[in-house]
Amino acid sequence: MTDWLGMTPRPVAPRAELRAAVLARARGARRRPRWAVVRLAAAVLLIVAGGWWAGVSLRRLGGRVRALETRLAAAQDTMRLLRGPGTRVVQVPVRTAGRLGSVTLFADTAAGRWYVACENLAANRPDEAYQLWFATDGGMVTAALMPMDRSEPMWMALGIPAGVARVTGAAMSIEPRRGSPSPTGPMLFRLNL
Amino acid sequence: MTYSNRLSQEAERSLLERLRSREEAALGELYDQLAPWVLGLARRILDDPAEADEVLSDVFEQIWEHIDRHDARRGALAPWVLSIARTRALDALRRRRRWWRKAERWGEAHLAEDGGPLSPPDPGEAGVPGWPVHQEVHAALATLPEEQRRVVVLAYFEGLTHSEIARRTDQPLGTVKTRLRIAQAKLAEGLKHLKDWRR
Repeated sequence: MTDWLGMTPRPVAPRAELRAAVLARARGARRRPRWAVVRLAAAVLLIVAGGWWAGVSLRRLGGRVRALETRLAAAQDTMRLLRGPGTRVVQVPVRTAGRLGSVTLFADTAAGRWYVACENLAANRPDEAYQLWFATDGGMVTAALMPMDRSEPMWMALGIPAGVARVTGAAMSIEPRRGSPSPTGPMLFRLNL
Repeated sequence: MTYSNRLSQEAERSLLERLRSREEAALGELYDQLAPWVLGLARRILDDPAEADEVLSDVFEQIWEHIDRHDARRGALAPWVLSIARTRALDALRRRRRWWRKAERWGEAHLAEDGGPLSPPDPGEAGVPGWPVHQEVHAALATLPEEQRRVVVLAYFEGLTHSEIARRTDQPLGTVKTRLRIAQAKLAEGLKHLKDWRR
């Protein structure tokens, strides 16, 4: 629209006291922080904070992804063990503190790998732990120490220690919390494979 | 009117330079010369003295803050200041959220004022810097046929879009655009000699 149209309305003389107020406000505005600068600073801060947060989140996510990959690899390995043609499955009923539980062994003696699942075992006393043993030609060799502060299902994959020529069976006993080099406590089960 | 007694464009350039160099007295001079026109325009748009005073204050704050944005090559200072005033006043009008109702009520009432016969100046009015320009602009608007003047007034003073003007005037959108284009060309031609607002 034509620039001069703003002069169409009649002029209105401002109140006399308005002059000082308007000019003072205009001059004061120059000293106030410019909103553009404030907005820019806020935007920069936001971007920096957003970048930091994104970095932290990415690192966290990366950690979670790596943990999940590890668990997935373990699960796949377990599945390979369970499906293996040389794997034997033995389930042993176990009574602990008056309750009936079970220990299931998936033993691939050819590959020397075991998978053990414990169900419904009673919690250990504070100074005790379950200890699993490999029965070998040379006697009992520790397989795993399993302190249980709560009664909950437990799974683990085991490898036969180096130097053990042949595993003939397995056993589980209750031992001191730090474990024993050979069974000393009550034997929960012992079986031959 | 004659412009023989008008201050030169050189004087405006000088005022601009003083404003850009943050000379506060220059802002006072600008206020003395343009505040009546800013206030007149704000009151025309808002029809509210208190709000118009607020717009006046906003306008001079913006001028002081952004005087370096005025490009002298693109026009004189007064139209630039008045365009700021118009924008601020229309913003205030829209903020009220009852501008449709006000526009309906005032649109008709002000139509004659914006393009009708110019009444004689009140005492002191003719001495306001820019009064001759006001007379010329008023006269240029008055030469427009009523239907063109109406769309100009609705667009400029009420801030309506083309579609809103079409609805308001119950005219096809194309007709509104054509009338505005013709009116703008006539006004531009009639006012092209204006370079300064002072006398």
